[in-house]
Amino acid sequence: MGETALKRVEIEAAGRLRALMRRYFLDLDEAAKDPGRRVAWCTSVGPCEILAAFGFAVYFPENHGALLGTKKISHEIIPRAAGLGYSAEACSYMNSDIGCDLLGCSPLRAMYGIDGPPRPDLLVYSTNQCRDVQEWFHYFGHRHEAMVAGLRPPRHLGEVTAEHVADVRVQLERLIEQIEIRFELRLDRRRLRETVERSSRLSVLWGRVLDTARHRPSPLTFWDMLIHMAPVILMRGSEEAIAYYEALLAEMEERNASGAAAVPGERWRIYWEGMPVWPRLRDLSEKFFDLRAAVVASTYCNSWAFEPYDGGDPLDWMARTSLAIFINRDEASKERFLEQTFARFGVDGAVFHNARTCPNNTNSRYGMPERLRERLDLPVLVLDGDLSDLRFFSTAQSMTNIEAFIEQMEGRS
Amino acid sequence: MTGRVFAGVDAGSSATKCVVLRFEPGGETVVGHAVTPSGFDYADASARALREALAAADASEEQIAAAVATGYGRASVRFPDGVPRRSITEITCHARGAREWYPAVRHVIDIGGQDTKVIRLCDRGRMADYRMNAKCAAGTGTFLESIAVRLGLPLAEVDALAMRSTTRLTLNSYCTVFTSTEVLERIKAGDAKEDIAMGMFRAIASRVIEMLAAGGRDGPVAATGGVVTYCPAMRRALEEALEVPVHRPPLPQHAGAYGAALLAAEGAAEGDSIALHAAPEVRRDAGRSGSCACDDPPRRNAPSCADSASLRGRPC
Ligand code: SF4
Repeated sequence: MGETALKRVEIEAAGRLRALMRRYFLDLDEAAKDPGRRVAWCTSVGPCEILAAFGFAVYFPENHGALLGTKKISHEIIPRAAGLGYSAEACSYMNSDIGCDLLGCSPLRAMYGIDGPPRPDLLVYSTNQCRDVQEWFHYFGHRHEAMVAGLRPPRHLGEVTAEHVADVRVQLERLIEQIEIRFELRLDRRRLRETVERSSRLSVLWGRVLDTARHRPSPLTFWDMLIHMAPVILMRGSEEAIAYYEALLAEMEERNASGAAAVPGERWRIYWEGMPVWPRLRDLSEKFFDLRAAVVASTYCNSWAFEPYDGGDPLDWMARTSLAIFINRDEASKERFLEQTFARFGVDGAVFHNARTCPNNTNSRYGMPERLRERLDLPVLVLDGDLSDLRFFSTAQSMTNIEAFIEQMEGRS
Repeated sequence: MTGRVFAGVDAGSSATKCVVLRFEPGGETVVGHAVTPSGFDYADASARALREALAAADASEEQIAAAVATGYGRASVRFPDGVPRRSITEITCHARGAREWYPAVRHVIDIGGQDTKVIRLCDRGRMADYRMNAKCAAGTGTFLESIAVRLGLPLAEVDALAMRSTTRLTLNSYCTVFTSTEVLERIKAGDAKEDIAMGMFRAIASRVIEMLAAGGRDGPVAATGGVVTYCPAMRRALEEALEVPVHRPPLPQHAGAYGAALLAAEGAAEGDSIALHAAPEVRRDAGRSGSCACDDPPRRNAPSCADSASLRGRPC
């Protein structure tokens, strides 16, 4: 089975995305070199709107971690970080980024002709996703003698209550105050509101792009989403990014209208839970493609599809969205979300990626796949691997697992 | 021999197995099988295994009506030109083979050279779910082999020692390398070699338990694969850990190839749609051969001890 040569239809917006990414990185590089501008590093669901409203060029090291993964070099540079005492089982984004720094290398050089990640003036993390980011940012703060600030929101929430929101709101106000004092700046609250408005528009548009995959056949898959999600993480509050997603959404809606499929002859619709396996995206996408299986939804890509901003206090919205993200919820909420999303997208099975170095974004360790399998009578596969470190991933074993998973579904049909 | 035959080749990491069978109105009959080391060249090993199995069946390549390749090296398996072929995972094939031998089986434990699989079947014989060991040799044949090498003993001798064990001993290490070290420590500490050897099989069984626990332990269990073929102690350790009898088919190592050959025949019969469904009828214990020397005689026509002559002289 699966030995056919199906034709993949390229997404037209991809060319525009490349140009957008290029401008983003060149601007970061310029900001780092321009004494009149400042660079802030931020975690992927951190308070970037505040940083942007202060005028910082905002950079996200997790993106660099993923890039190192896609370039298939993480496993070679991670031992450098391990030599400094960072466990090889700690976040492989963090370890590869530190290893990269120690070696003085970066794929950004070859991709955009820049030296590498921009030198930070400020690093702001939020532990709403994990504790590793705190250590990661402290390493680079120390390295660049830059200010490090952290938000520590309440974790693993069931309901997000007014008390939780108030807690984070206080932390955000304190962060603003720290930045104002340290950099002798004044936050323009109107500018913050505008940034939040754009950030929300961007995020809503991204959510709509993801939702187009509810259509049968799906116009795009997880593998496409992983590429096209970059702006919603890196360029929150950017008009250019909004225009980009408007174009992407229009293209996907057009595909749906014409019945164009990301996986021609789509037979199976799959959910991907957990982190991507960045160094093996191509192998995995081709395997699913050959098996006529469209991975139509994922927890990961959905992590940046926030509730829309309703015009109230922007800090309240920031606090609430940063608390409400999937990774920051308790088991029962996560399970409920997955069950609802499986139904919304009409999936035939779910893959849970057990990412060795990211327990935070792995949900196969406390019986959730088994519970969902039993309750929903849904085939579930737990795939052992990692987001970046290939030493934890066996391609042959994973491919057999995926094929057997599809065979299992064939047997049910 | 005349008429159409169906071939299944299981290119495993250590050994390549082939089963050739003929489908008749009363059921399938295994007419030939073979096993050969996989070495570095799966294509070569699979061609050799197929040749030997065909010779044992007194059949020719031209008689192959359909074939299925399975196992780690399935993509490299070559069948003669013009033979309709498919590639199906060893998970599905082992389940299919085991179910043919034991129609009521609910769990299939396959302990291979490189990986261990636990497959759960539903009461209709359909694959309900499965688990493979994580990317690690612990719990596989390689685990045993590497420790045996470290001890300078052939695996058969480790097995013979284990079968004479009288006192329960458990090895605590999780990984192959650390277990080797622990084995040496135990020898130094004066523990009986027999008990240490059995402890190695027990270590594999405990990994199996981890994989089996998820699906519950309802219904009969069968064990397949090379380790179970050559090491009776493995079955003993499994039975001890699971606290239920474990069926050992007459050709455990060929279960994947057997399932592949069955699927080749069924695929051909069903116009090439994969026949992974339940057996048309669950023939519980039908036609069991009373003369088989195995503990668990197979269903009628399935390969039995009498067929194992070509298994390099090893008794089942
Ligand atoms: S959530 Fe996981 S991948 Fe992301 S920074 Fe934390 S540990 Fe690393």
